[in-house]
Amino acid sequence: MVSDSITNASIPCPNVKDLGKKKRANRSAKLKQCKLDVRREQWLSQVKKKGCGEEWTGDGLHRDASNGSSENVESRRERGRVEANGPGSIHHDSDLELSPSNSPISLNSILGSNDSGTNYSGSGSSSSSSADCCSGNITEEDDEGGDDGCLDDWEAMADALAANDERPKPPSCPPPPQDLTASNGSGMIVGGENLRSGTRATPAAANTRAWRPDDAFRPQSLPNLTKHHSFPNPSDRRFVNGGISWAGCNRIFNVPTSCPICCEDLDLTDSSFLPCLCGFRLCLFCHKRILEEDGRCPGCRKPYEHNPVEGEASVQGGGLTYRLTRSSSLMARP
Amino acid sequence: MAAVNGQTEDRYQGNTPAVAPSPKQPLPAAKSVDTQSVLKRLQSELMALMMSGDPGISAFPEEDNIFCWKGTITGSKDTVFEGTEYKLSLAFPNDYPFKPPKVKFETACFHPNVDVYGNICLDILQDKWSSAYDVRTILLSIQSLLGEPNTSSPLNPQAAQLWSNQEEYRKMVEKLYKPPSAA
Repeated sequence: MVSDSITNASIPCPNVKDLGKKKRANRSAKLKQCKLDVRREQWLSQVKKKGCGEEWTGDGLHRDASNGSSENVESRRERGRVEANGPGSIHHDSDLELSPSNSPISLNSILGSNDSGTNYSGSGSSSSSSADCCSGNITEEDDEGGDDGCLDDWEAMADALAANDERPKPPSCPPPPQDLTASNGSGMIVGGENLRSGTRATPAAANTRAWRPDDAFRPQSLPNLTKHHSFPNPSDRRFVNGGISWAGCNRIFNVPTSCPICCEDLDLTDSSFLPCLCGFRLCLFCHKRILEEDGRCPGCRKPYEHNPVEGEASVQGGGLTYRLTRSSSLMARP
Repeated sequence: MAAVNGQTEDRYQGNTPAVAPSPKQPLPAAKSVDTQSVLKRLQSELMALMMSGDPGISAFPEEDNIFCWKGTITGSKDTVFEGTEYKLSLAFPNDYPFKPPKVKFETACFHPNVDVYGNICLDILQDKWSSAYDVRTILLSIQSLLGEPNTSSPLNPQAAQLWSNQEEYRKMVEKLYKPPSAA
């Protein structure tokens, strides 16, 4: 039943069109949105079974979870019952949910963030069910994102993406797709890994804060999960995003957003393209055009030395290529 | 005047070599794209020029042809051209900005590097052209050319000769100056 709902929910994602402007963002958004829809479905079904009230009590109980109170055991038992009713749904839920957590772990290991550390190394009660861990992560999400769910959040995200695109800041737009698709892909395809990470992530429940009583529509807050998992916290997210474009990171601040010759927007390839040592940037089309005509850099009027400099651009400024350029220009000059 | 402009433009575009087909680039597509990108470039130049608000220069396309602009520059302060205003025409080729626009004085200008037809001898409009230049930098260059002529290769030898005597030169400028509105 759940798998049905997954397929149904995943295909007509209404939000994707809003984000359609950015092709790259769109891809990841689609994946995310599918997951969000799936998760919402699952939660709705869960909530239907449980009723909202129980969740609220569960809230207090959950906080006790780390303390190991007996109430907690009860709540867990209840959850276990729910699980027994729809084991597929919950397992799948945890599956989907935890899949992105694979990436934060790796990212964090790279970036040295300890945020996920707090998530995953919380308490020792690794015996808790997968449902437990779901709710745990979700409540935490709730703290971060507020209740009103994916729509607002996604719009904000889209705005942020667009804004970042306009300014030559560390582009948060292009990097995430790679990131997300990677993580999503692993999460969706490799089920076994998720199970493993599920056990690892279970202790996260200990950290979680409970649902607030006014969370009448908790499922709506779920969509934040993906974001949260992919990017452990906002500052990390920025860092991750900036980090993806390591190559251009320093330069990107000097890069114009549009080609000074044809006034078309510079895409990622163009903005990482530095054809001349003088630093004058232009799009690949205009560069090609100039090479066909007089072949001089518009910025300094010196002849382009294509091969070495193009090598430089693709290698991202190694000292060797720099020297090559120099020497060839010296040879060309006399 | 309009006829003159039309001639200018026609002549110029006639002189513009048809873009030689390159074996590497699919040319037909490139050419149509070019016109589009020239339009875009000129539009954004116009926008930038209007936003920049540089004193002493202005330019605007003629009513229905964005490839043909009219510009004005005023003589810089503390030069013999102070207080004068000159009208120019700028005709953009189809391969602008890879080729420079044809810029001419529409107002008679007594200047060593401007001939009686208004042609300007300015390196950046010829061999020193760079596609990074735009209308704004052209007009600023011409404005500064007024006060700093290159008298070694003059188009107007009389003006070049007189340049050393600034007082006389100023008188000559005033005598020959016709406000653009009358031109």
